[in-house]
Amino acid sequence: MKISRRKLLIKGAQAGTFCLSAGELLKLAACAAEPQATAPRALVVIWLNGGNDGLNMVVPYADSAYYTARPGIAIKPGEVLKLNDKVGLNPAMSGLARVYADGHLAVCQAVGYPRANRSHFHSRDIWETGSPDGFVASGWLGRALDHLESEARARQIVSILPAVNLDPVLPKSLVSHHIAVPTVNNLADFDFRTDPKFAGDRKTQLAALNDIYQNFALGRPHVELLRDAGLAANKASDKLTKIVQGYKAGANYPGGGLGDALRFISQMVCGGVNARIYNVSLGGFDTHINQRAGQGNQLRQLSDAVAAFHQDLAAHHLDRSVITLIYSEFGRRVGENGSQGTDHGAAAPVLLVGKAVSGGVYGDHASLTSLDEGDLKYAIDYRQIYASILDKWFGLDPHEVLGKNFEEINLLEKHRT
Amino acid sequence: MRHVYSHGETGSIRRIDARNVQLLPRKDAFWIAQLLRRAGFGASPAELDRYQKLGYKATLDELLHPERIDNSALESLLAREKFDFGNPYAIKKWWMYRMLHTANPLEEKMTLFWHGHFATSLQKVGDPKVMLEQNKLLRRLALGNFETLLLGVSKDPAMIIYLDNQENQKGRPNENYAREVMELFSIGIGHYTEVDIKEAARAFTGWHTNQKRSAFVFDDKQHDDGEKKVLGQRGNLNGDDVVHILARSPDTGRYLAKKLIRYFAYDDPDGDFIERVATQYQVNGYQIRPMLHAIFSDPSFFTNRAYHAKIKSPPELVIGAIKTLGIRNADIDLPGVIASMGQNIFEPPSVKGWDGGKAWISTESMIERFNFATKISSQKFEELKPFMSPTQLASRQGLKTSHDAVNYFLDILVDGDVPDYTRARLVKYMETDLDGKATRGVKNEQVLDAKLRGLVHLIMSLPTYQLA
Repeated sequence: MKISRRKLLIKGAQAGTFCLSAGELLKLAACAAEPQATAPRALVVIWLNGGNDGLNMVVPYADSAYYTARPGIAIKPGEVLKLNDKVGLNPAMSGLARVYADGHLAVCQAVGYPRANRSHFHSRDIWETGSPDGFVASGWLGRALDHLESEARARQIVSILPAVNLDPVLPKSLVSHHIAVPTVNNLADFDFRTDPKFAGDRKTQLAALNDIYQNFALGRPHVELLRDAGLAANKASDKLTKIVQGYKAGANYPGGGLGDALRFISQMVCGGVNARIYNVSLGGFDTHINQRAGQGNQLRQLSDAVAAFHQDLAAHHLDRSVITLIYSEFGRRVGENGSQGTDHGAAAPVLLVGKAVSGGVYGDHASLTSLDEGDLKYAIDYRQIYASILDKWFGLDPHEVLGKNFEEINLLEKHRT
Repeated sequence: MRHVYSHGETGSIRRIDARNVQLLPRKDAFWIAQLLRRAGFGASPAELDRYQKLGYKATLDELLHPERIDNSALESLLAREKFDFGNPYAIKKWWMYRMLHTANPLEEKMTLFWHGHFATSLQKVGDPKVMLEQNKLLRRLALGNFETLLLGVSKDPAMIIYLDNQENQKGRPNENYAREVMELFSIGIGHYTEVDIKEAARAFTGWHTNQKRSAFVFDDKQHDDGEKKVLGQRGNLNGDDVVHILARSPDTGRYLAKKLIRYFAYDDPDGDFIERVATQYQVNGYQIRPMLHAIFSDPSFFTNRAYHAKIKSPPELVIGAIKTLGIRNADIDLPGVIASMGQNIFEPPSVKGWDGGKAWISTESMIERFNFATKISSQKFEELKPFMSPTQLASRQGLKTSHDAVNYFLDILVDGDVPDYTRARLVKYMETDLDGKATRGVKNEQVLDAKLRGLVHLIMSLPTYQLA
């Protein structure tokens, strides 16, 4: 039932109109009548920019090879926040260690893809498009959005914004075929302003601009992109500023960009923006030198911000509606370099946080001695995690988004439809 | 034949751009304006006038030879500002003033190109003076020999700090610089192996800065003088050798050609255009200037494929507006405005610099662009005095009707390149009162001023205004 309904809806959306039989209409009505959660399920994606060193985030403290490879920067067994008798979290991650103890953090180990690419930019593309094998213009989240939106439209669920990007530049992951994802990171400035001296003219100007944009056709390469972005900007500025008023944070967020961003996401979730995907990143992980301090600070910020976000959502009774995926474009080399740092490597852990997440450690940590070009071998393909989220969280057919089938991992409670 | 683009009759333009047969005016003035939007940051009416008297070829020649131009007015203007270069904001403002007031726009445009190419961030480097020195290096060698530039950058203290070569030592190599010099600065991804990177890292060992981190030093005790093999060449290679190998590779010529064409002409150049420009690199001893000449005189630069085909970068948008509208009291926070639109100079987002092109556009950057237009056009925004007086401009031009005003401002701001509907809708906007009611009669001065300001705001918010 699930798949056939979705396929039916997508087919309808592609045709532009819905021509359904009476029986099909009844089936749809039954689906729409199912009780709705207070907010539709949302995914927050946090990319750790720069290539996060997985070995010093999820430390294989029981493996002597780890201490041999990293005489200068290894984290001692006594410092590690133990998850089980093999691995533990970086000592800066006490916030997420608490979330783990509550059973709401999943740690997937040795995640990667075949023929690891060690360029920041190329590997990032691979993660964002979901395609390690060749060039794809759209992102895995963008394609998921296309499916989610056609379904939402059919069920007449109003989402003010289908997804929100909080990074300065829209990542490739959110490039979709049909949807222009808005970027917002400074709400205070996100307002279409006009000359305050002539306030009466604002409505006239806005009306003129909207008319002009809606009818703007010119045979130049970027005009459609500009038109879509301009229209989305005006729509978003109009709605967003209103909806997030009246929110009160239910946790103390740490200072810094990620804390601010997650607080803003919580504001949007609580305000009923109903976006399905929120995207944000945290930089500072390209730790070629002095890694202990540098990575430690970033992991603390990550851990504190995500733990606060988790707590805040719980205070608003929305913690069952949001999961958070945390990954980086690659891990780092096993051995430390000559600068108390590490160079670009391959496989690394991926984290998933949320009340709906089945907490635990998934898979074994990668062998530190059986290596691939000096780097950790992957055991879990990153697309297995994508597939699990697409299926269990969003109720989508992973094959339609990823182009292939992948063995799923039971990271999430079963989707209820 | 006088004009570089008139080698053929209209038919040849059609042949070049078979996908789109729309013909564009074959007038010097039209293409000179485009040249200045690309090779510079737009132009004021007076500058346009001067360049148009020179003609296209002489204008291009002038732009390509900054060493022949007297730029002392800029230097004395900068000297009067008494910048404190220990302050990060000062170096940003200094550079924005250069972009705005220079007599050598292409030199600044290329400096900005190299800043994105050899991206280095103040955030990690820390000392603004070191960043300023790098900026001067990029400007000095902006149009010259690429091997000299690549070597200069490899020994530049800001770069050494930014990509951790300071830590790259014999027996303890750090691969950061070796990877990026291949992937991003020269031959490009796909033309080297992981082994090449490891070996090149060894060649750059001991390339450090002095204690004050203000000058390059070669620390021979920290240099690995064993045998290495990089891109097929074997020997006791050092950093100079690696730079030499990389700069002379035809892959570098093609990589730079593609990037320069995308920066100056259009986003998706075909292989032939890239080859034409890359050839210039090889036959002229790795010089940048002939590549630029090739781009700005290539037949495809004078077609629909290039015209209004690039999204303006934040400095192009902001400085262009100031020049076009003759804004004098430009006491605008220029570095802050362009940063809000996505280009925080001296602080690129990563070692890859700014992606540019489509990446300049998001809902947020559009709002910032709209609001910059508001700021520029308003009678009173946050500042005490307005930045411009459209009423003055209009009366100087003798504009009598709403049509006149719409046509004039469309002409100077977007070359008049809009759909008919836009033009009509702007006239309709002009023919309303401040309460939105239609009015055909004479407006009082204040209403006219408000509507003209609104008109400038709307035109600067059009999709076409975002295009160079």
